[in-house]
Amino acid sequence: MKDVYILGIESSCDETSISIVKNGEEVLATVVSSQIEVHKNYGGVVPEIASREHIKNITFVLEECFKQANLTIEKIDAIAIAYGPGLIGSLLIGLEAAKTLAYLYQKPLIPVHHIAGHIYANNLVKPLTFPLLALVVSGGHTELIFMKDHFCFEKLGATLDDAVGECYDKVARVIGLPYPGGPEIDRLSKEGEAVYLLPHPLDDESYNFSFSGLKSAVINLNHQYEQKGKTINQADLAASFQKVVIETLVKKTKRAIEKTGCKQLIIAGGVSANQSLRKAMLQLGEEMKIEVSIPPLSFCTDNGAMIAAAGYFAYKLGKRADLYLNSKSQEELN
Amino acid sequence: MTVLYLDTSSPYFYAAVYQDGKILGEKNEFLAKEMSSEALPKLKELLEEVKLLPDQVDRIMIVNGPGSFTGIRVGMTIAKVYAWALKKEILPVSALTAMALSTDQNLVLPIIDARRGFVYGALYQKGKVLLPDGHYQLDKFLMEAKQYGTYTIVSNDSFPSLKTIPYHPNYLKIIETFLEEKPITVHFVNPEYLKRTEAEEKKFNANY
Repeated sequence: MKDVYILGIESSCDETSISIVKNGEEVLATVVSSQIEVHKNYGGVVPEIASREHIKNITFVLEECFKQANLTIEKIDAIAIAYGPGLIGSLLIGLEAAKTLAYLYQKPLIPVHHIAGHIYANNLVKPLTFPLLALVVSGGHTELIFMKDHFCFEKLGATLDDAVGECYDKVARVIGLPYPGGPEIDRLSKEGEAVYLLPHPLDDESYNFSFSGLKSAVINLNHQYEQKGKTINQADLAASFQKVVIETLVKKTKRAIEKTGCKQLIIAGGVSANQSLRKAMLQLGEEMKIEVSIPPLSFCTDNGAMIAAAGYFAYKLGKRADLYLNSKSQEELN
Repeated sequence: MTVLYLDTSSPYFYAAVYQDGKILGEKNEFLAKEMSSEALPKLKELLEEVKLLPDQVDRIMIVNGPGSFTGIRVGMTIAKVYAWALKKEILPVSALTAMALSTDQNLVLPIIDARRGFVYGALYQKGKVLLPDGHYQLDKFLMEAKQYGTYTIVSNDSFPSLKTIPYHPNYLKIIETFLEEKPITVHFVNPEYLKRTEAEEKKFNANY
């Protein structure tokens, strides 16, 4: 069978990333230009600044990617683009770049949903095994998705308010940790004990999540201490917060596994870089006797390789977009 | 030389193809919110109408602002990726310069609405810059410009209190003005917003 080379472009948030992936599983090159250092100054991603950075980076990233892969654009079979959801101004840079290349070289343009990309990042490690359950956890998403086959997405539940990563960032800011807050809380929580009592949000029979109440509880607790002139133990607070988050994620994921009878559990999205979450999910897999797949850290955050991997399967299924393709800040996975 | 000119910095899509002293074809369309979806298809149509392949263009002239931040980036991403991929020359052109060059009057004051009483503007006399491209408070800017004599305001935005003439690009004149200009390395061709982001502004004000 002829090898298929897909160029994947991702610019949904604050990373300009382009990769070339062979047959949906082998990464030939991946370049990520992260803007964390820029946005750190503002305590979070500033959309207009993100767009401004993307356009400065785009041709550098393209050039570096083709250099690393030692390929010419002519060799590429199709161009996969993360068209949404995400920050509209950021998405547009990747979109216009993808459309321009597709036009200049008359290559098929493959629209890829950002979350599909996160799920398919796992295919770069081991093949997806259906039926599978994917827990997508990032700064913009918290979703449980069931898949019977390639590109058959059934959303079982999602967050009703804040995404889990967003909640981490906000809690981190309140207790004075730098952006991005996720890795900081994860690190700090190892030095503390979960001594503070925090509510388990949306502890019900659904597969939905809610994190805004938990966030408020942390903020209020911190505030109470400040008013009494006392300082809260940061490490203990981080540990208490993280414990509730992980217990909630594990509990709903476990119920979804029982309901669907899936063979594989996939953890995807930026928060899957969280060490404690990884440990908890691997334990759950052992307990439930199903395979757990978590992409390596470099593929947890936004990257072009995951878009190329998903793009390969979409390409095989005949999914195409024309040059009128537009970015979508909000878009259902389907 | 064959030149592709592209300007998506306003609600209008402006593009033209120039070859050896003539405009082979042009497109002037009101795309507004559809810019991100339709700019590339329109560009493709234009090249097809003049029967040129993308590779037959020698130089891309791209309007890099000021104007709509998103609009600027749509056209610039297309232009940068085009120039990078096919190794074409690329040269940025100011939207205000293009507006001034397209107007025959002696003193020309091109302005673009920047909201809240501000404009992006400049003052030109026969292609010479008297007041440079900038983000100005409209009232103050007009007072300053007045010192140079009677000017003609060019704008496609609506300023109810001002007498303006509409902008329609004189492609031949704009392109020929920049024909001899040295091109710039594609990686360093970037938008000129002439305005910091609100977040940067706040931070700047807090620091000083």
